[in-house]
Amino acid sequence: MSAAGLIARDELRLMTRNRVAAVALILLVVLTLVASLTAWGHQRAIADTRARQQSEAAAAFNAQPDRHPHRMVHYGQFIYRPLGPLAAFDPGVDAFTGNSMFLEGHRQNTANFGDVQQSSMLVRFGQLTPAFVLQAVAPLLLIFLGFGVVARERERGTLRPLLVGGASRASIVGGKLAALGAVAGVAGVPAVIALMLIAGQPGAHALPMLVIAGGYFTYLALWTVLVVLVSAAVKRSRDALLVLLALWSVTVVLVPRVAPDLAGAAVPLANRIDTDIAIARDLRRAGDSHNPDDPTFAAFKRRTLARYGVERVEDLPVNYKGLLAVEGERITSGLFDRYAAAGFAAQERQGALVAAAGLLSPAVALRDLSMAAAGTDNAGHRRFLEQAERYRYMLVQRLNRLQADSVRYADDTAKDAGADRRKRIDAGHWQAIPPFTFDAPTGATLAAAALPGLAMVAAWLMAALGGLALVTRRLGAR
Amino acid sequence: MRIWRYELILLLRNRLALAGLILLALLGAASVATGLAEVARQRAAIARIAPAQAEDVAAVAHWAAPKGDPGDAAYYTFHATWDPPSPLAFAALGMRDVSPYILRIRALGLEAQIYDGDNFNPELALPGRFEWAFVLVFLVPLFTIALFHDLASGEREAGRARMLAVLPGGASRVMRRRTLLRLALIVLAVGVPFLVGAAVSGVGPVTVLAVLALTVAYTGFWVGVAALVSRLRWSSVTNAATLAAIWLLLVLVVPAAAHVAVNRLVPVPPGSAIALAQREAVNGAWDIPREATMRRFYAEHPQWADSAPLPTAFHWKWYFAFHQNGDRSVAPQVAAYRAGLERRAAVGDALGWLLPPVGVQAALTRLADTDARAQLAYRDRVRAYHRALREFYYTYLFHDRPFGLADFGKAPRFDAR
Repeated sequence: MSAAGLIARDELRLMTRNRVAAVALILLVVLTLVASLTAWGHQRAIADTRARQQSEAAAAFNAQPDRHPHRMVHYGQFIYRPLGPLAAFDPGVDAFTGNSMFLEGHRQNTANFGDVQQSSMLVRFGQLTPAFVLQAVAPLLLIFLGFGVVARERERGTLRPLLVGGASRASIVGGKLAALGAVAGVAGVPAVIALMLIAGQPGAHALPMLVIAGGYFTYLALWTVLVVLVSAAVKRSRDALLVLLALWSVTVVLVPRVAPDLAGAAVPLANRIDTDIAIARDLRRAGDSHNPDDPTFAAFKRRTLARYGVERVEDLPVNYKGLLAVEGERITSGLFDRYAAAGFAAQERQGALVAAAGLLSPAVALRDLSMAAAGTDNAGHRRFLEQAERYRYMLVQRLNRLQADSVRYADDTAKDAGADRRKRIDAGHWQAIPPFTFDAPTGATLAAAALPGLAMVAAWLMAALGGLALVTRRLGAR
Repeated sequence: MRIWRYELILLLRNRLALAGLILLALLGAASVATGLAEVARQRAAIARIAPAQAEDVAAVAHWAAPKGDPGDAAYYTFHATWDPPSPLAFAALGMRDVSPYILRIRALGLEAQIYDGDNFNPELALPGRFEWAFVLVFLVPLFTIALFHDLASGEREAGRARMLAVLPGGASRVMRRRTLLRLALIVLAVGVPFLVGAAVSGVGPVTVLAVLALTVAYTGFWVGVAALVSRLRWSSVTNAATLAAIWLLLVLVVPAAAHVAVNRLVPVPPGSAIALAQREAVNGAWDIPREATMRRFYAEHPQWADSAPLPTAFHWKWYFAFHQNGDRSVAPQVAAYRAGLERRAAVGDALGWLLPPVGVQAALTRLADTDARAQLAYRDRVRAYHRALREFYYTYLFHDRPFGLADFGKAPRFDAR
């Protein structure tokens, strides 16, 4: 057996004799398993509930009686954000975004009833998920088990005899690395089991799972290298422990919190009232469909009459009020899109600032990679919001079209007692409108979104390996 | 007194300890600064409401007033409500980053409006804010561990323990002195930035004292944990590792697990079901006889029952009556939802008696009025205001009084507290 192999075996034997270490490792494994099972159960429950509520809402929509189509514009539709299977591994921002949304005419609503609003403040202590355990807890275990791997040898004066005995510096460090790496591997096993559980679910993609597995593997490898690096670089094991604990608390606890605060301060986000009032102001400038003298809508009327070659709206073959509704929705939706895009752009700038903090903390880079691959990051939420808006627009315009084509103008403007009856159209029209289906991203899209984070974690690993090589060369020199 | 000074000099000669204390003070100051900036941002957003609202209401009035129909005014006019941050909010922002503190409402059905959120970046909210409460709850224990893990074992390892033990009064007096000194320095490092922030923000003296007492008690708790661990007479390194593991469990793992347990054991009826049921009730009203709607409305609101019968054409009072009927029909669900949220908050707070980090966080957000309860209280104020708005418009709607330009200025104003 090679020197490195012997050293690794010896180190592992030492660790197994250390009962505290064994207990800690078992605790971590149990913790990951518990986190995996609860997160998995939670994800499945959420997915089931939302699917059920979605079909109930769709059924209620289809069950609406004969109505004036504009009544259906206000009846609107509830849609629910589906949760992909990988959310069981890393639910990301799901608890914060709200998961149901009411779609109606003239208005763009927010997603609401997020878990955060419905939880005690315990939610602010973090969520117990496999991602959390691997991101925060597993490195700490590696620190506890490994801070002394090299420092201890130096402290006890066994390092020089090893070197004199013919073991090369590289084989000593390599052996220690292998031993701690084996522990890291064991720590990662429950997470792999969790991923395999998820893989059996419909809609689970292989590619993002590979990226997640690769990302966490690289992260654990990084901490293994960092622990050995610090242990080899400092004089005493207590210094190694303190340095590593400081490194952990800064990169895992502090930077992930400070960076978002700075990003939020650097890039302001318009609040809802700012946006709503700005949209209302733009709408007044764009035109007022209530005002018969409004230039925008007067021009629209002229264009419409000219297109059909008639003199009066009463002579149009279609219902002018329906056309007006289509045009009005087109204008308001254009504004919604513009303000929503500005909001998304600001959030993306904030996100880019936080992602840059990955240079200071591999935990930030890993979190980004993990959420992106799981489809539970801001991009995933934006995907839902944009599809919701597209669906809302389709739904409302289809109903407005129905008003134009299927309700007679004379009936629509009539106010006599029987007019209400004549304005209604057959319920079959709404049953023909397709329900909302979320167009889930492909595995390749998710994996590609996670690549920048993966590259950053890999760069950290490379830098740490470089540092370790430097330290190894000087090992035992003094 | 001189001996204390020597102890202080001895402690500050330890470069690691000095660096730690300076770092803690800097982090405390930075958290106070970000907290104050965030609160100032929220106040500025609230201050922007009045001019923006005035412009918006004026625009509605501009086209609605000539017709004088109170229904138009009631339907199209939004009214702003807001929840100003308390003076202490800078230290513990609680839920204020994820719950709306500004909400505009109309006199229409409230259940379709009151759960609306505000714009926020969920990725920024996810890790939690860098606030003073975070420094106290999460970081102070780490610095306490760094300063205390080798208090006794360090002397033992340096071979001075026996010498100390034969001093007059024994080692315990020296240890007590050192413990008190370190505790005081930690409390000072986080307490002074807090005091500055509290002075700037105008926090009342009783609240300041309560926060300081919490700080001392919480730091003292961790000193106690360190003392208990050191009685096992392990090495400094083992002490540090054990204490860090305890920190991890008490501050991160157990609260996160408790969160899962609380949400499972204390169910809250789905809020979206309220919105769904309310929509059914409101939209269903178009398909039932209008007189039935009015009968139901008048039965619950007899003060308007003397209103003229409905004309054949559309009348806004019918429209508003069925919106209110819609709210009424989901009232039991709303009460159950609220009760569930309150129960969850109460259980979460109660866990604070078992888990000091949770207890401190809960106490701070309670003192700062930024916790889940504060959000519910804000919602209650919005409800009361909405009631006043309805009454206001109903006097015009049900008595067919024209709504002129001047009437727009008479709408009740929201009273923040």
